[in-house]
Amino acid sequence: MSEKPLKTDEQLIADFQNGNENAFVELVDRYKDRLVNFVYRFLHDMTDAEDMVQETFLKVYKNKHAYREIAKFSTWIYTIAGNLARSELRKRKRRKTYTMSALSFDDNEFTPVDPGKDTEGIVFNSYAGEEIMKAIYALAEPFKTIIILRDIQELSYEDISTILDIPMGTVKSRVNRARLKLQETLSYLKE
Amino acid sequence: MQNTDCTFICEQFTEYQENSLSSEIRAQVDTHLASCSACREIFQKLTGVVETLHKLPSLQASTDFTSTLLSRIETLNQETVWQKIYSSSYSRVAGYAIAAGLIVAIGINILIDPISPIKPGVQSNYAGEKINPDPRTESLAEVSDSSANQPADSLTLQNSPINSQNQSMQLVSGKK
Repeated sequence: MSEKPLKTDEQLIADFQNGNENAFVELVDRYKDRLVNFVYRFLHDMTDAEDMVQETFLKVYKNKHAYREIAKFSTWIYTIAGNLARSELRKRKRRKTYTMSALSFDDNEFTPVDPGKDTEGIVFNSYAGEEIMKAIYALAEPFKTIIILRDIQELSYEDISTILDIPMGTVKSRVNRARLKLQETLSYLKE
Repeated sequence: MQNTDCTFICEQFTEYQENSLSSEIRAQVDTHLASCSACREIFQKLTGVVETLHKLPSLQASTDFTSTLLSRIETLNQETVWQKIYSSSYSRVAGYAIAAGLIVAIGINILIDPISPIKPGVQSNYAGEKINPDPRTESLAEVSDSSANQPADSLTLQNSPINSQNQSMQLVSGKK
């Protein structure tokens, strides 16, 4: 007996637009982890990240008919989540709630180790991971977004171009500049 | 003419890593990296950073993420239903009718009983009729009133002109 082929995201959103709520749940299951990963890299707070992703799905639910199959569903939902995350970041900056404690990464996602113990493959250990996340967090917004989409979410240049509504050439040059900035910031990691 | 300055080479690093450069430019980068230790170091670090980014641990949404979302949607749907009912023309008309009815009722009540001061020791029942639980205190209440000089009859009649029970109240209060 052949297994039923998985529906594409676009088929699922079409089903949902036609009233099939199970299709929406399927989309939630497909995207919740990816989006939490995405938004967390902006906000560095798991609770806030989950809230933002919930808001993203609520927007999809309420505005399901706003989606047109001219773009991939993934670029649509990433655009919504990215806008919410960036808006939240701007709100935080306006409120000046950025304190050093917010930058402390105290959720223990990455366990810091003594960098002195690992002189060879330091960029591959958890300490480096934490330092890289701090460095991404400190990047200017356009570079931050682009590095998260390209190097953490591993989206194609074409998708990033659609999500950010900028030409492909600009995407590539921003990725390069963002990586160089990260490299510059992290140059102390491995001399 | 070849542009082999360090800035130009650094601008090519991402595409160089991803093998998407033309063979001509790729050859330029190769040649430059072979001779420029500064750019070679930058490229090595860049490669390490990108590899680390790809290896960052993947996060997962909490286990109750979907159930929380679905309950929020359920609440949202209920609110939407109420909003629809509230915003429907039928409910608006019904709302206006109820409001008009209340205004008319209040108006009639005012016309029938324009002043109904509640005096100490005097209670009123649901119909606005004064009930004095202790007839002995009414005389004190009447004395403290600024219109105490008026005959008790006129006061009572003014307050409740159509209330026949006031006649019995007057008898109970001993004013006549």
